[in-house]
Amino acid sequence: MPQQFGNTDVIRTFGDGSLRLRLFDGPLGLAWKHCGITSDFLGDIYSALSTQGSIEANEIRHNVTYLVNEILENALKFKAPGDIVIDTLVEDGRFRLRIANLISEEGALRFQEVLSGLQGRDPSDLLIERIERNAADPTETGSGLGLLTLMSDYGVQLGWDFRKPAEENGPVQLGTYAVLSLA
Amino acid sequence: MEIKTTEYRIWVEDAVIHYEGTMRLSGTEAYQPIMELMHNVLNSEPEEITLDLVGLDFLNSSGINLLARFTIEVRKQKSMAILVKGSTRIPWQSKSLPNLRKLHPSLQLNFV
Repeated sequence: MPQQFGNTDVIRTFGDGSLRLRLFDGPLGLAWKHCGITSDFLGDIYSALSTQGSIEANEIRHNVTYLVNEILENALKFKAPGDIVIDTLVEDGRFRLRIANLISEEGALRFQEVLSGLQGRDPSDLLIERIERNAADPTETGSGLGLLTLMSDYGVQLGWDFRKPAEENGPVQLGTYAVLSLA
Repeated sequence: MEIKTTEYRIWVEDAVIHYEGTMRLSGTEAYQPIMELMHNVLNSEPEEITLDLVGLDFLNSSGINLLARFTIEVRKQKSMAILVKGSTRIPWQSKSLPNLRKLHPSLQLNFV
């Protein structure tokens, strides 16, 4: 059984009607720039659901781009060698996202600690608290601030699952799931 | 003082710091040169600092953290005022800039 964190209701499979992008960790490598290019692309794709040039289309483009960019930045920063797979879908006026990548076992434990610290509190209060803490301690890296910004300022629901490796000490399969209302 | 790349430009006029473009740098360290530019303005001890974000279309959460840290630095200067100018047509600004007022209630936030 995978270990689940956050809002487990948003953890799901993506099948028919979903759009899949795979960022190959090939000879060119995955660079920081790919986060921006990929998130802009998905923002453009889904903003086409609304009348071009309208306030709604602008809002959808921005919100989808922002969400994908933040999760993808995290994936790129903390992943173990391997591809990143992005699944997206719009259903019932909601944009649904899954970003899957490998992460080292040690990295998975550290991330689970960050996630446990985000649970059970109002994300808006926690965001301000964390900003204050980061400002007071220059060694703080600001981990979790991006996730809190998504939850607090964008109303995004987030969930995670961690699947143990088949071989001992192998990398863990991490799935990050997000739901964003487009209404 | 100016920092310019193909994606963004930041420049200073008196005590007004202007931001333009799309900023998605990889973290606190990558934002350091920008923080230094902002600190130069702070260290000149003006009565009021203005952050003009009207042309800044995109800022990732690491960049928002930079603005938050700077707001806290200004808060420590009891006699210094801070004005933040944003745009209602840029969604991240109307969503995230009000957080700066939670950090520093006397910060003035104007949307155009």
